[in-house]
Amino acid sequence: MPQRLLALLFVLPALAVIVLLFMVPLGASLIGAFESGEGYGIANFIKVFELYRWDVLFTVMVVLLSTLLIGFFSTAIAGYLTLGENPRAVAVLRWLYRWPMFVPFIVVGQVLRTFLAKNGLMNNIFIELGLMTPISATSFLDWRGIVIAFVWKQVPFVALLVAGAMASIDRGTIEAARNLGASRLRILVEIVVPQIATTLMVGLVLSFVTMMSVLSVPLMINAQSPTMLTADIAFRINSYGDYGVANALGFVSLLITAGAAWIYLRHSVKERA
Amino acid sequence: MKTLIQATLAFGLVASPAAAAELTVMTAGDQNMVDYVNQYLGPLFEKQNPGVTVRAVGTGPGDAGSQKILERFEAQSKAGTATWDTDVAVVHEKFVGPMVKGGYLDKYRGDIATGTLVTRDNARMALGSNVDGYVMPMFNSQTAIAYNPALVPNPPKSYAEIAEWAKAHPKQFGYNGIKGGASGVSFVMGWVYAFGDGDAKKLMNGPFDEAETKKWDKAFASLRDFTKDATLTPGNAGTLDLLSRGEIAMGPVWVDMFYSWQASGQLPPDLKLVLPAPGMPGQPMHYVIPEKTANKELAEKFVALATSPEVQAEGIVKRFNWYPGIDAQHVQASLDAATWNKLFKDITPEDLAKYGKPFPIAPYNSAILEAYERQAMN
Repeated sequence: MPQRLLALLFVLPALAVIVLLFMVPLGASLIGAFESGEGYGIANFIKVFELYRWDVLFTVMVVLLSTLLIGFFSTAIAGYLTLGENPRAVAVLRWLYRWPMFVPFIVVGQVLRTFLAKNGLMNNIFIELGLMTPISATSFLDWRGIVIAFVWKQVPFVALLVAGAMASIDRGTIEAARNLGASRLRILVEIVVPQIATTLMVGLVLSFVTMMSVLSVPLMINAQSPTMLTADIAFRINSYGDYGVANALGFVSLLITAGAAWIYLRHSVKERA
Repeated sequence: MKTLIQATLAFGLVASPAAAAELTVMTAGDQNMVDYVNQYLGPLFEKQNPGVTVRAVGTGPGDAGSQKILERFEAQSKAGTATWDTDVAVVHEKFVGPMVKGGYLDKYRGDIATGTLVTRDNARMALGSNVDGYVMPMFNSQTAIAYNPALVPNPPKSYAEIAEWAKAHPKQFGYNGIKGGASGVSFVMGWVYAFGDGDAKKLMNGPFDEAETKKWDKAFASLRDFTKDATLTPGNAGTLDLLSRGEIAMGPVWVDMFYSWQASGQLPPDLKLVLPAPGMPGQPMHYVIPEKTANKELAEKFVALATSPEVQAEGIVKRFNWYPGIDAQHVQASLDAATWNKLFKDITPEDLAKYGKPFPIAPYNSAILEAYERQAMN
C-alpha cells in the first residue's frame, strides 16, 4: 500500500527528532540515575535521600502552594473579565494582565531580587507610606519570593486559558442565575467555575510542570537551604561533575511531574470520550 | 549510553574548520572575561597581527563554564575530530588537572618567551595535579572579607574573631552558602582550614586520604551554628548587593569584583577589605591551548601577548583589578604607583603572601562541599 508507506515517510522526520532529541537523552538520564561508581544500583538515590530529602519536600510544597494561588488569582481575573460590569475596568485589566507572560523567568528573578529585598523597593514604599518602620522590615528573598515570582509569571497564562473557556460557555446560564438574583461571586463559584473546571485543571497542571523545571528563579531569589531541586541538580553537575546523583534528582522530579501528567491525561481522555 | 550522548554532542559540534586567520578563544567566567578579550586583548592582538580576527566565546560563570569546556574537549577527543574548534581556552584551576590527564592539552609554556616570568607554585600544581608546562596563569584572584567601617570600626582579623563577631551581631554577617558562587565556597574552605582538626596543608597539597575527611565534624557543627546567625545571600553579587544596601555589615567577596563594583559606583567607596588569619583561598584562571588546535603558532603568540608584563599591567591589574598572573615584580615596573597602591591598599603584599591560600585539592574540595551539605545544612 504505497499510500500508507508515504504516510510513514512523512511521519519519519518528526519521529526521528522525537527519538533522537527526546527519547534517547531521557532514557540515558533514567539509566544514568542508577549508575554510580560501584556499578548499577540505588546508591544515587540513597544520597538523594540523605542530602536532599528536605529539598524534595520544599520543592513540592512551594510548587503546590504556587499552583493553588495561581488557580485562585487566574479564576478571579478571568471571572472579572467575564462578569465585570464596568467596561473601562474590564478593558484595562484585559490589557494589563497578559504582560508577565512575555517576561522571561530570569528577568522576573532579577526584578524581584531588588524589589523584595530587606531594603528593597517594596519595603521602602511601605516605610515611606508609614506602614512599616525600617527596623521591622524583613527580606522576602526566601520561599515566599519564589512563590511570588511563580505566581506573578504563571497567572496570566492560566487566566488566558480560563478566560477563553469562560467566554465560550453558554451566557444563558449566567443570565438565568443573575435574573434569579445571584451575586456575581456566587455566579462565578457555582455556575461558571464548574463549567470550566477541566480547562482550569489543565492550565494548572501545565504551570505545575513548568515551575518544576525553573532554575533561574530559585538560584536568584532563594539563597537559603532548603532550595529547589533544579538548583541541586545544577550544583551536583557544576561542583562535582556528578551526573549520577543529578540524574537521580531528575528522576525524582520526573516522578513528581508524572503525577501531574497523570491527572492531565485522565482529564483530557475524559474530555475526548 | 554516555558515550552515545557525547558522540551526538560532538556530531553537532564538529568544528567548522576555522579560517586560518580566525582565533577562537573560549573563556569560562563572568561576562567581564568575555569583555576582557573582546574589548581589550582581541583588538590589541588583531592590531599586531593584521588579517587575524579573534573570536571570544563565553561558556558561563563559575565552575559550570569550565565544566562545559572540559566536556567539549572530551567530546571532540572521543569523536576523533582532527582539528578542534578551540584555539585558546581560559579555565578554572580545578579543571586543568582532568584536561592534562585526558591528554587534551599542548605543553606550550617552554615555547613562549613569557614562560619564564611565572614561578608561583600554582602554575606547576593545580589542586594536586601536576600541570607544569601546560598552563600560563591569566590572573590570580583572591577572596577576602569586605566590611563596612561605619558599622564595624574594628574588623575581625581572624576566623575565630569573625565567628565571635557574628554571634554578637546576628544576621549582620552574610555569605552565599556553597550553591551560589565561589566566594561562599571559599569562605567555607577557609573555615575548615581554620577549625578542622586535620592538617590544612595536607588539604591544599595532597595526597588524598579518606581518614582526613573524618576530621571536620567539629568545624561543621560550629559552622552550622554560625550560619544560623548569618544571613544567606543569593550569589557572589548578592553579597555585594546586600553590603551596598547596608543589609549586612560584613561578608566574603572576590577582591576583583569588589574593586570593580567600587569603581563603577555600585558599592560605596568607604567599604574596606580584610584578609583574615589563617587565610582564605584564591585561585588563578589559566590559559590553555588544546593539542589539536588548527592555529598552534597563533595561539602561542596570543598567550605570550596576554602574559606579557605590559598587558598584565594595563589589562589585568589596571582595568580589571585582578592580581597579576605572572610574578608581580615583573608587572610593577609597567605600572604607575597609584594603581599599584590601590590594589594593595587594604590587603598588603605581605598579607597576601601569608594568608592567600589555594583551594583544597579536588577530592578534598568535593568532600568538604558534600560534608557541608550533609552536616551544616540538613
